Amino acid sequence: MPGFLEELLRGYQSAVVFVGINGILAFSMYAVLIAGQLSLAQAGFASIAAYTSAVLTMEAGLPFPVVLVIGMAVAAGAALLLGLPVLRLRGVFLAIATIGFGEVVRITALNLDVTGGAIGLRPIPRLTQLWHVYLALGTCAYLFWRMRPSRLGRSLAALKEDEVAARAMGIDTVRVKLFAFTLSGALAGLAGALFAHYARFISPGEFGFERAVETLLFAIVGGLGHWLGPILGGGFLTLLPELQRELGIEAGWLRPALNGTLLLLVILFLPSGLVGVGRRIVPAGLRHRLDVSSVQPADGPTERAPEPAEIPAVAGDAPAVAVLSGVGKDYGGVHALRDVSCAIRSGEILGLIGPNGAGKTTLVNVLTGLTAATSGTVVVGDTDIGGLTADRVNALGVSRTFQQTKLFANLSAIENVMVGGHRVAVATFLARLAFLPWTRRREREHAARADRCLALVGLAGQSGAPAASLSYGDRRRLEIARGLCAEPDLLVLDEPAAGMNHVEAAALGTLIRQVAALGVTVLLIEHNVGLVMDTCTRVVVLNFGEVIADGAPATVARDPEVVRAYLGDAAGRPDHAEHGGPE
Amino acid sequence: MVRLVALLASLMLLVAACGGDQPDDATAPADEATEDAAAPADEATEDAGAATDDDSGATEDAAEPTDGATEDVAAGDEGGDCTLDEPVPVGVVFSQTAGAAVYGVSQTAAVELAAEELNAEGGVTYDLIIEDDATDPAQGITAYERLIEQEQVSILIGPTLSNVFFSAGPVAQEFGVPALGVSTTADGITEIGDYIFRDSLTEAQVIPNTVAEATESLGLERVALLYSDNDAFTVSGFEIFEQAVEEQGLEVTSTETFATGDTDFSAQLTAVANNEPDALFVSALAEEAALLLTQARDLGLDVPVVGGNGFNSPAIIDQAGEAAEGVIVGAAWNAAADDEANEAFKSAYEEATGRAPDQFAAQAYTGMKLIARAVESACSADRDAIRDAMEGLQGVDTILGEFSFTDGRDADHTGVTQVVEDGSFALLD
Repeated sequence: MPGFLEELLRGYQSAVVFVGINGILAFSMYAVLIAGQLSLAQAGFASIAAYTSAVLTMEAGLPFPVVLVIGMAVAAGAALLLGLPVLRLRGVFLAIATIGFGEVVRITALNLDVTGGAIGLRPIPRLTQLWHVYLALGTCAYLFWRMRPSRLGRSLAALKEDEVAARAMGIDTVRVKLFAFTLSGALAGLAGALFAHYARFISPGEFGFERAVETLLFAIVGGLGHWLGPILGGGFLTLLPELQRELGIEAGWLRPALNGTLLLLVILFLPSGLVGVGRRIVPAGLRHRLDVSSVQPADGPTERAPEPAEIPAVAGDAPAVAVLSGVGKDYGGVHALRDVSCAIRSGEILGLIGPNGAGKTTLVNVLTGLTAATSGTVVVGDTDIGGLTADRVNALGVSRTFQQTKLFANLSAIENVMVGGHRVAVATFLARLAFLPWTRRREREHAARADRCLALVGLAGQSGAPAASLSYGDRRRLEIARGLCAEPDLLVLDEPAAGMNHVEAAALGTLIRQVAALGVTVLLIEHNVGLVMDTCTRVVVLNFGEVIADGAPATVARDPEVVRAYLGDAAGRPDHAEHGGPE
Repeated sequence: MVRLVALLASLMLLVAACGGDQPDDATAPADEATEDAAAPADEATEDAGAATDDDSGATEDAAEPTDGATEDVAAGDEGGDCTLDEPVPVGVVFSQTAGAAVYGVSQTAAVELAAEELNAEGGVTYDLIIEDDATDPAQGITAYERLIEQEQVSILIGPTLSNVFFSAGPVAQEFGVPALGVSTTADGITEIGDYIFRDSLTEAQVIPNTVAEATESLGLERVALLYSDNDAFTVSGFEIFEQAVEEQGLEVTSTETFATGDTDFSAQLTAVANNEPDALFVSALAEEAALLLTQARDLGLDVPVVGGNGFNSPAIIDQAGEAAEGVIVGAAWNAAADDEANEAFKSAYEEATGRAPDQFAAQAYTGMKLIARAVESACSADRDAIRDAMEGLQGVDTILGEFSFTDGRDADHTGVTQVVEDGSFALLD
């Protein structure tokens, strides 16, 4: 170490080392939290790596870098193995399962001979040096800085916001979660191995529940909105005792009381953590350059879509984009769908109507892979989607919107749309790490694509606004843009006009015809029969899970069975007609 | 998410408040150790001629290590006439918060009390710089480093727990600053290096003596052993018991095990009772110890119980009440001692804190007095000089009894064997 630095750090070198190690631990927490996974297994991973590396150093005498890499690999492997079963859990259940894992690790270490049991392992040679720690911390920061504006970074953010929607947008959520979990394990392992070779002594108590919660606090206090968060959180909480020492606050109960109060204040008043403060005080221009989540499209808002011509009815022998044959779906004794057969032909706007409970949304979920059919087959293109997950179905070219909007609320409009385009976007994370020039171009192209979709639905001016801040109608349109960005063969719109007045609904009808004019086949599920009749080239009517009519809008509207389904049995009898009405 | 974090944070505070590492301090002494304790090391005085500072009270030379100048005064006299102009900076690191706070707080109070008394005497004064390690090895390291590099302390006391000491101790060793453990009992503490001392007895020093005295006092022949087999401290305690029992030639009627955290011991206790031993030897932590005593008496098993370190706590008496009567346990300090020094210590401590002192307080108080003896003997604030003087301390009169450091810089003094009588610890006759 250079002399001046040594002089500067005199008496504080270990504090500075622990700031760095805790920063790395905070990054390991950050890795799972930005994917929306509340895991408390980090202390356990750190423990595994600490013991593994310490034993390798003490018993095998391997070189320090080798020991570090093996420690990280073992911790990452443990994370992968743990992740496979527990990642189907969410929220507090995942937290509990991972706390359980931490306890298992602690008790195992307590009872093994090789770990020294409760007495612990020592003396571990002090091999960790200041620059090791900060090199590692810098690498973490670099990793997450480059990750956020990549396809992977957007996938993690989308996963955090809404897992179902992320899957429907083509993101393999299981893989992304496992990636986050394994990365988290590796980073926790790095921190653990560095700690063991600095503290010279480890015992099971070092990595218990308290350490797990402390790690969570590092990440939360720092804030999840920016890759600087973990460094700030880890640094702040580690330096707090040192700061109190310097301020002359006497050791004793006052210090933890102050710690607790400060923590409470941060959680209450800085919900976005310490990086939230940074966002307020750093000048906007500088922030813009640092804030990598803002995306600049290559060119300005692009051409509006052509005014739609009348979409012609599609001939019965046109190629089908999707074919349902004898599809049934039972929920216990309830038959939500019964023997539904229908083909969606390329280029048409197919309306799917039916009274409440007719099975429309079930049909959409089966078609998009969110639920598996009980019987029958669904073929998209040439592929039977039986057994495929929603992301795989999306990859086949089926994109959708949801009856209740499922936007990624805290992402900007354009990021929502870019996530929707996951299928056609290029994976850029690894290339971004290497600063390869083409990644910038590809990201810009993708942003431009997203921008065109936004312009098409009339949201060109809103690209930077968070989805949650948009009006209801705009959110509906944003979902359509998000679905479109995947450049799908089939776009499924699940009740897009719900809650719209007739003026908005009419504008939506125009938009749908514009979309179809681009060559996208549309399946429109709607309650608003007027919209369907005006917009669609063909209409299928479902009732009690069965197809009761299929044909041109005008024909279907006159079908007596359809009238009966909508107006009730009494509709045919003139003397009771005034009592009838849609259910 | 935020609410969950708040919940977890409060949970953690709760855990920190209720939990707590088992104090790894132990108690009674080894018989053979006491023999040479009284004798000052003769050879130590021979070097005295090399350093003439002693008599002149030369404070200017305080910074110079004066090898060999030290053991002159080691024997009986009260530190002689050494005077230093500047107070000697002493770093004090105890766990004042989190798990081990219950011990750290009384240790801190005891060291402060000892320093006050020393400063009132004059000659050499002491400037205590007190730090909290928060029962965390990382903070132990940072506190040590700061005290050594920023405060330039001459010597360190603490930390409270062995696992913190294992991390902090090597820092002192590297910088060449003497460090004195006053409650650390784990194996290997003083093996960290030649700057590391401790004045606390280990279980290996205490238990054999307890077993021997109990055997003699009660005329034991057949004993049962009972221990928690999933905790390193209780397992090592058991192994020492086993060896001591063998050395005393006692017959073991049965050996039963349980797990730390168990609450029902009736199966094991029934098995013990069936073999009708003269006494029951138990290696357990305090939580299990109290429950175990109560259940044994409820089952009608009323043989004497001889306990390891887990039983050495007034809390056992509070929790087990009547059932604790007759329990025999070794200790480093005789709480019932009524000699002048102990009476003075107990009343001064009670006046300062409002509580009666426990063994931790007594050992910490003794630690500060030992440091003072070494400083005055070296008549220097120099780290190496103090280290050398510490090493030579022999037969020092303390409230723990006559105290010496072994060649391995561990504590060497007579412990006591206590028995619970009428709700408090008394000496075993």
